[in-house]
Amino acid sequence: MEVIALYGPYLLIAGCIFGFFMAWGIGANDVANAMGPSVGAKALTLAQAILVACIFEFAGAYLAGGEVTSTIRKGIIDPVLLADSPELLVFGMMASLLAAGVWLIIASFKGWPVSTTHSIVGAIVGFAAVGIGVESVNWSKVGSIVSSWVISPIMAGVISYLIFKSVQNLILNTKDPFDNAKKYVPGYIFLVGFIISMVTLLKGLKHVGLTLNFQESLTYSIFIGIVIALLGSLILRRVENTYEKRGDVVFDGVEKVFGVLMVFTACAMAFAHGSNDVANAVGPLAAIVSVIQSGGEIASKSTMPWWILLLGGVGIVSGLAMLGYRVIETVGRNITELTPSRGFAAVLAAAATVVLGSGTGLPLSTTHTLVGAVLGVGLARGISAIDLGVVGRIIVSWVVTLPVGAGLSILFFFTLKGIFS
Amino acid sequence: MKVTGFTDIIKKSPFGPIRAHMLVSKASVDELITFLKSAIDSDWNEAVKSRKVISDLENQADTLKAETRGLLTKSLFLAVPREDILDLIKLADDIPNTVKDISGLMIGRQMEIPAKISSSFLHFAKEAAVISDAASEAVNYIDELFQFSFGGNAAIKMQQLIEKLDSLENKNDQTEINLRAELFAIEKDLPPVNVIFLYDVINKIGELSDRAEQVGHRISLIASR
Repeated sequence: MEVIALYGPYLLIAGCIFGFFMAWGIGANDVANAMGPSVGAKALTLAQAILVACIFEFAGAYLAGGEVTSTIRKGIIDPVLLADSPELLVFGMMASLLAAGVWLIIASFKGWPVSTTHSIVGAIVGFAAVGIGVESVNWSKVGSIVSSWVISPIMAGVISYLIFKSVQNLILNTKDPFDNAKKYVPGYIFLVGFIISMVTLLKGLKHVGLTLNFQESLTYSIFIGIVIALLGSLILRRVENTYEKRGDVVFDGVEKVFGVLMVFTACAMAFAHGSNDVANAVGPLAAIVSVIQSGGEIASKSTMPWWILLLGGVGIVSGLAMLGYRVIETVGRNITELTPSRGFAAVLAAAATVVLGSGTGLPLSTTHTLVGAVLGVGLARGISAIDLGVVGRIIVSWVVTLPVGAGLSILFFFTLKGIFS
Repeated sequence: MKVTGFTDIIKKSPFGPIRAHMLVSKASVDELITFLKSAIDSDWNEAVKSRKVISDLENQADTLKAETRGLLTKSLFLAVPREDILDLIKLADDIPNTVKDISGLMIGRQMEIPAKISSSFLHFAKEAAVISDAASEAVNYIDELFQFSFGGNAAIKMQQLIEKLDSLENKNDQTEINLRAELFAIEKDLPPVNVIFLYDVINKIGELSDRAEQVGHRISLIASR
């Protein structure tokens, strides 16, 4: 108790800095996953991609980031058990942020495909189980989070497979692919708008003070979907079928239509990413803030201050604006094999899965979900070559990240505890 | 700082180098025509130059073959069976090899092509060049096939390309029969050893067309799976 009274403001400021830095790192690194395909497919220029990502990452983080943030904040550990020693929660969350941050920096330098989500969840479980007690961890919640990590790539894969199959049947394998693309693509755009707004309206907007029931959400989402689809049709009207000659072969302009669609799915992906990954940075911060602001009370019922998601959103956007362009460019250049019709199927499937996770408060890995989605398109014979070795490495890193995140956070936890007491 | 994202799982399509390989094969068959013209004129200086070009092209083809195989690592998940791609590149690689054999054989023996059959002979070789051109077109078209994921118009167009290849090859078979008949008619007036090798060269040129046709068939197999 005295620790909080004495050092409260300093701990708060330190927490904010750590949280902001994490958000910054997420913005600088992970956003490339959402925007890379669009830049690679030349659906957006780099500058446009940065702008779109800034707007939609922020909107996603601020509007739909609440559920996952609350899971990180009070879903994994039961704060009530810490009522007698609230400072432990503060140290632990601080340690988790540091652990995840340090691990991400190491992994990025080594080029290992780690997930922010796995790092932070591993870190929180680690300090709680070892530093406080195994019973303080809400194991059933952790179980559902871990199973969501297995299910989300599979789900994204199934969705992307179905989307791409429908594209094959409705558009690509028909007599007039270009005309059919123009006819059906607004339908896909509707789907993008509908899914995103449905999940957001249904689950995300509580903290903004807007609570809608299922019926209302459905109505509004259909409306938003139609508006966005109409906007898409307007843009599509200007797309003309220009043939491109490459070698001796003439390519139909059908991919140009999908290029328009990709702009929409990129927005959706940025939104989904913001809504899920902001929690990795500000979830622990939210826990720290709620303890310190209530003067050491562990008030699990209290609502989260609005500025926390704002801080996370600003952190992501600034990381994106400062370093994102470089990463997006690199990622974008590497994936010319992913044409717009493939890219949109993968990205839309991943965005839908991630947004669903955000709505239900499950912290997912965007990267892994996208990997699943790309595999789905590959299974539908949409991509000529997929390296399963990389998939294997990703799974290994997945398994390694949890104990490493946990180990580091235990280390930091006892260090902080030692310093302050 | 290296970033590893989901995009790392998408690998370069192996069809890029195969396409390049086919273009090299086509160029080597074209060069063979130039070579044969020089041989018919008994201009062995020019022939040696052509032979050098053919040999360089064959080396290029080998490099591209190796590159294709390098892209087909075990961990790769492909939209088409790996064996089919390996077969395709193996078949296609026979073309520049055979061209090199023919030019080597003719230079080594300074083979004279009898004036009576020289125009038929050249015509026969030119047909082989047209066929390898058609095969190259089909290989090129694989990309389009991918764009439309093996269905619709692209599949129909590919079928047409393969049919064209087949009919060209049938025509070429007939040309070969006629050429052999012409040679047969004059063979008793020629040194027997020369005749044997002339038949051998005709055989090898016929092989060029066969290989090109087989490349087409392999592609249609890939497309139909």
